[in-house]
Amino acid sequence: MSLKNEEAEVIIKVKRYTQEKGFYWQEYKLKVDRFTQFTEALRRIKSEQDPTLAYRASCHMAVCGSCGMKINGEPKLACKTLVLDVIKKYGSNVITIEPMDYFKPVKDLVVDLDDFYNRMHKVKPRLYPSNEVLEGKAEHRLKPEDQKVLWKFAQCIWCGLCVSACPAVQEDPEFLGPAAHAKGFRFLADPRDTITEERLKILIDSAWRCTYCYMCYNVCPRDIEPVTAIKKTRAFSRLAKDKTEVIKTGEKHTEAVHSSIFDSGKIMGSRVYLSTYGLLGSMKEMIFLMQSGKLKYALVKEKAVENIQEVRKLLRG
Amino acid sequence: MEKLSYDAVIIGAGLAGLMAAHEISKAGYSAAVISKVFPTRSHSAAAEGGIAAYVNGNSDPNDSPDYMAYDTIKGGDYLVDQDAAELLAYKSGEIVELLEKWGALFNRQPDGRIALRYFGGQTYPRTRFVGDKTGMALLHTLYERTSGSGKVDFYFEWFAWELIRDESRVRGVVAFDMRNMVPFFFKAKAVVIAAGGMGMLYRHTTNSYIGTGDGYAMALRARVALKDPEFVQFHPTALYPSDILISEAARGEGAVLKNAKGERFMTRYAPKKLDLAPRDIVSRAIITEIKEGRGFPGGYVGLDISHLGEEYIKERLALAYEAAKTFSGVDATKELIPIRPAHHYYMGGIDVDITGKNPDVIGLFAAGEAACVSVHGANRLGSNSLLETLVFGRETGNEVVKFLQSFTEPSSDIDKEAEKAEQSAYDIVKKESGVHFGDILEKLRDYMWEFVGIYRDENGLKNAVSEILKLREQMKNMYVLDKSKVYNTEFYNALELKNMIDLGLVIASTALNRKESRGAHYRTDYPKRDDQNWLKHTIAYLSGNTVEITYKPVKMTKWKPEERVY
Ligand SMILES: Cc1cc2nc3c(=O)[nH]c(=O)nc-3n(C[C@H](O)[C@H](O)[C@H](O)COP(=O)(O)OP(=O)(O)OC[C@H]3O[C@@H](n4cnc5c(N)ncnc54)[C@H](O)[C@@H]3O)c2cc1C
Ligand code: SF4
Ligand code: SF4
Ligand code: FES
Repeated sequence: MSLKNEEAEVIIKVKRYTQEKGFYWQEYKLKVDRFTQFTEALRRIKSEQDPTLAYRASCHMAVCGSCGMKINGEPKLACKTLVLDVIKKYGSNVITIEPMDYFKPVKDLVVDLDDFYNRMHKVKPRLYPSNEVLEGKAEHRLKPEDQKVLWKFAQCIWCGLCVSACPAVQEDPEFLGPAAHAKGFRFLADPRDTITEERLKILIDSAWRCTYCYMCYNVCPRDIEPVTAIKKTRAFSRLAKDKTEVIKTGEKHTEAVHSSIFDSGKIMGSRVYLSTYGLLGSMKEMIFLMQSGKLKYALVKEKAVENIQEVRKLLRG
Repeated sequence: MEKLSYDAVIIGAGLAGLMAAHEISKAGYSAAVISKVFPTRSHSAAAEGGIAAYVNGNSDPNDSPDYMAYDTIKGGDYLVDQDAAELLAYKSGEIVELLEKWGALFNRQPDGRIALRYFGGQTYPRTRFVGDKTGMALLHTLYERTSGSGKVDFYFEWFAWELIRDESRVRGVVAFDMRNMVPFFFKAKAVVIAAGGMGMLYRHTTNSYIGTGDGYAMALRARVALKDPEFVQFHPTALYPSDILISEAARGEGAVLKNAKGERFMTRYAPKKLDLAPRDIVSRAIITEIKEGRGFPGGYVGLDISHLGEEYIKERLALAYEAAKTFSGVDATKELIPIRPAHHYYMGGIDVDITGKNPDVIGLFAAGEAACVSVHGANRLGSNSLLETLVFGRETGNEVVKFLQSFTEPSSDIDKEAEKAEQSAYDIVKKESGVHFGDILEKLRDYMWEFVGIYRDENGLKNAVSEILKLREQMKNMYVLDKSKVYNTEFYNALELKNMIDLGLVIASTALNRKESRGAHYRTDYPKRDDQNWLKHTIAYLSGNTVEITYKPVKMTKWKPEERVY
C-alpha cells in the first residue's frame, strides 16, 4: 500500500467582513496536497500569510461543529472537506469560501450563533428521568435497538449548517428549525424520559411548519436527517393536547397520505395535496416547488408514511 | 476594568470543568464557567474510544477495582500515586452510571446493560463506549445537564489570560470577551483550572487547535508548580498524514498493526499483549519499524481492521472508517489504514492532590488534563482520561464546596494586579512592528517534535532548551497586525503562543533532568527505568528564564514496583 499524493496550487477567495468595511473579497494563493483539509488551509493562511483572517475551528475531525461555512456555495464543515476534492469536483483551482447564511456576520467567517443556541435550548435538550432512577432506586435499561434509533438523532454537533440552509427558518419565526427538532426528537422518543407532554407542547406545532424541502438532510455533515426527526415527531401529533391550527392542518395532510395509500396502494400526490390544503393552496405549493427545482423532494417526502409506521412501532414498544 | 464576582470561577468547559461546575452550583454557590469555545466544542468532544469503568454486576466476573487500579499503576510505570488510582477505580462505576442516568447513550448489551470492550493495558475488558464518539456523547450530555439548571453562568468565547493572586491565595481571573476584546476581572473565592491539554506544542498531534496549554502557563506565571511535566504521551495510531486519531478501540476490537512486509510486528515488542500493549510501547515499536526500513514510503505503517467485517466496522468503529475514507482516501473494510504516532495527551499538569487542591496557592484547584493528580504517571492507559475528568472533576467540585463553606473574605485590595495583567496582554497590540505569532509558532512545534518527542537524548534536549529560549526572546518583539477589537483571533493566537513557549521551556528542561526511561519519557542515552534514583515526581516552577526543579515522593499503597513487561 502506498498513498497517492497529488499537489495543486489553489486560489482561495474568502468573503471577509468587518463592521466598518462590510463584506469584501480577498484572495490567497497556496499549495495543497491530496490530504489538505480546508481548516488546515485556513490555518496555514493565518500563520503564514495573513494573521488577521478570522474563522472558527477546533477538532479538525468533524465532531465539534466549529467550522461550518460555505465552500463554493455549499454549506460544509471546513475540516471535513478536502481542498483537492473541491478542485476536482468543480474543475477549477479557484475556490470561494463564505460565512454561513442566515446568521449575523461578526467577522470574516465567524457568525453570531446566539439565535442557533436559543433554538437548541428551547427544546429542553436533556433527559428528565424519573426520581426513582435518579436516586438509584430503580434501573432503567435501554434496549440496544432503542439506543440505535436515539443515537442517530443525538449525534448533532450543533454546527448550525442545517439552520443556515433551512428556508422555513427564514420565513417562519415560530419554527424551531431542523437541529432543534433532531435534538427534541431524541428526547421525545426516549422511553426513559418523563416530560413527554411538555415536549409535545414545544415540538408538535413547530413540526408541522417544516416545508419538507430536504435541505437539512442534504447539508448535515453527521447524517442526522433532521427532517426524518420532524416526520417522526409529527407522528406524535395524536398525543398532543390543545391542538393549534397548524397541527390540525398537518394532521389532515397525513391522513390524506394515509388514505391515499390505503385506497390505492400508492401515493397519489395531487389527491393528498388537494385534501390537505384545498385546490388553491396545493397549486401554489407545487408551483413554488417546481420553481425552486425541488419537486423531486416533494415526491420523496411522501415516504413519510413508512417512517410513521416505524414510529408507531416505537410508540407501542 | 469591568468586574464580576463569583464564589467560584472555572476555566474550561470540557468534561472536567463542567463536572466541577455542576457540583459547585448544586451546593448553592455561584459559579462561572469561562471557555475559549462554546462548551460542546471543547476538546473532550473529540474523545473516541471510551471511558474505563468497573461497574458492579456488569463487569468480567474475575475483574475488580483493585485490578483496575493495578493496571493503571503498572501502565503508568509506577509513577502513579496509588491512592489516586484506587479512588479512580473505585468511583468509576458510579460515575458511568451517573452519566447514563443523565441520558448518555452508551452502547448496550442485548439485555440492556451497558456494553464493554478491551483497551490497551487492561487485564479485563472495562471500556464503556458510545460508538466511537464517546467524548462527544458525554460532553453533550453534561453540557445539556449543566446548562439546564440555570445556575451556572457560561462565558463562552472568552479568553482567560491571568490568575490574580495575593501572597497566599487566589483572588480571581482576568479574562477577555473575545467578541469585543473587553477585559473583565472575575473576582472569585476559588478558581478551578480545567483548561485541558497542549497538543499544539507539537508538529504532529491528535489534539484540537485550541489545545494550547493556557492553563499550565497561567499557573506557572502565578508561581504555581507543574508536576511531572516531562511526561508527554504519543498515540501510536494517528492517521497519516492528517494526524486524526484512529482510536485505540480499533485494536480493542481486534485490529492488527502490520509493516510494509505484511508482518505483525508487535510479536517482537510485546509478545503477550501484542497490539494491545500500552501506548508508549506501541509508539516506539512503530517508529523503530519505520526507522529500520519496514515502513511504507512517506513514513507510516498499516492498521488492519478489514477482517472485522463491514457491518461491525460501521457500527462500532464508524469514526475510524469515516476518517480513513475522508482524510486518507482509504476504504478500511478492504485496505490497511495508514498510521503513525502523534502527540496525544499530557500526563504532566498543575500539581494537585486527590481532592484537586493545589498546595502552592490557597483557593486554587485543577482538574482534568490540566491537572496532574497523578493517575496516569509516566503513561496513561487508554480510556482512563475521560474517567479522570469526571471522577476528579466531581471530587474537585466537592472540595471547592468544602472550601467555600469555611471561607473568610480577605481585606486587601488587588485591583491593581488585575490591571497589570490586562496591560501585559495589551503590550503586543500596541507595538507597530516585529514578528507575527506564526513565525515563532511553527519553529516551536518542530523543535518539540524533533527534540522533545518519542525518543529523547541529552544533546537534543539541550538544543531544545536553548532554541526555545531564543524563541522566548524573539517573542518580546511579537506584534499584532489586526487592529480591530471585534473577534480579533490574531490577538488570542499571540497570547496562546506566549503560553506555549513557557510550557515548552518547562517540558524540555525537566526532560533533560530526568536521566532514565520511564513510560512515555524515553531517553536513548538512559534506556532503563531507574527506581533507585528516579521513582519520584518532578515539581517544576518557572522563574524568569529559569526552570526550578525539585522532586517529591510517589504515594504507594499496595503495589511494589515490578518490571513492566507485556
Ligand atoms: C482525538 C482524541 C481522542 C481521545 N479519546 C479518548 C478516549 O477515548 N478515552 C479517554 O479516556 N480519553 C480520550 N482522549 C483524552 C481526553 O479526550 C482528554 O484528555 C479530555 O477530554 C480532557 O478533558 P478536559 O475537561 O480536561 O479538557 P478539554 O475538554 O480539553 O477542555 C478544555 C476547556 O478549557 C477551555 N480553555 C482552554 N484554555 C482556555 C483559556 N485560555 N481561556 C478560556 N478557556 C480555555 C477550552 O475552551 C475548553 O472548554 C482523547 C483525546 C484525543 C485528542
Ligand atoms: S426539510 Fe424542513 S427543517 Fe429541513 S431544511 Fe427543509 S424546511 Fe427546514
Ligand atoms: S443537525 Fe446536522 S447540520 Fe444541523 S446542527 Fe446538527 S449536525 Fe449540524
Ligand atoms: S473543526 Fe470541529 S467540526 Fe470542523
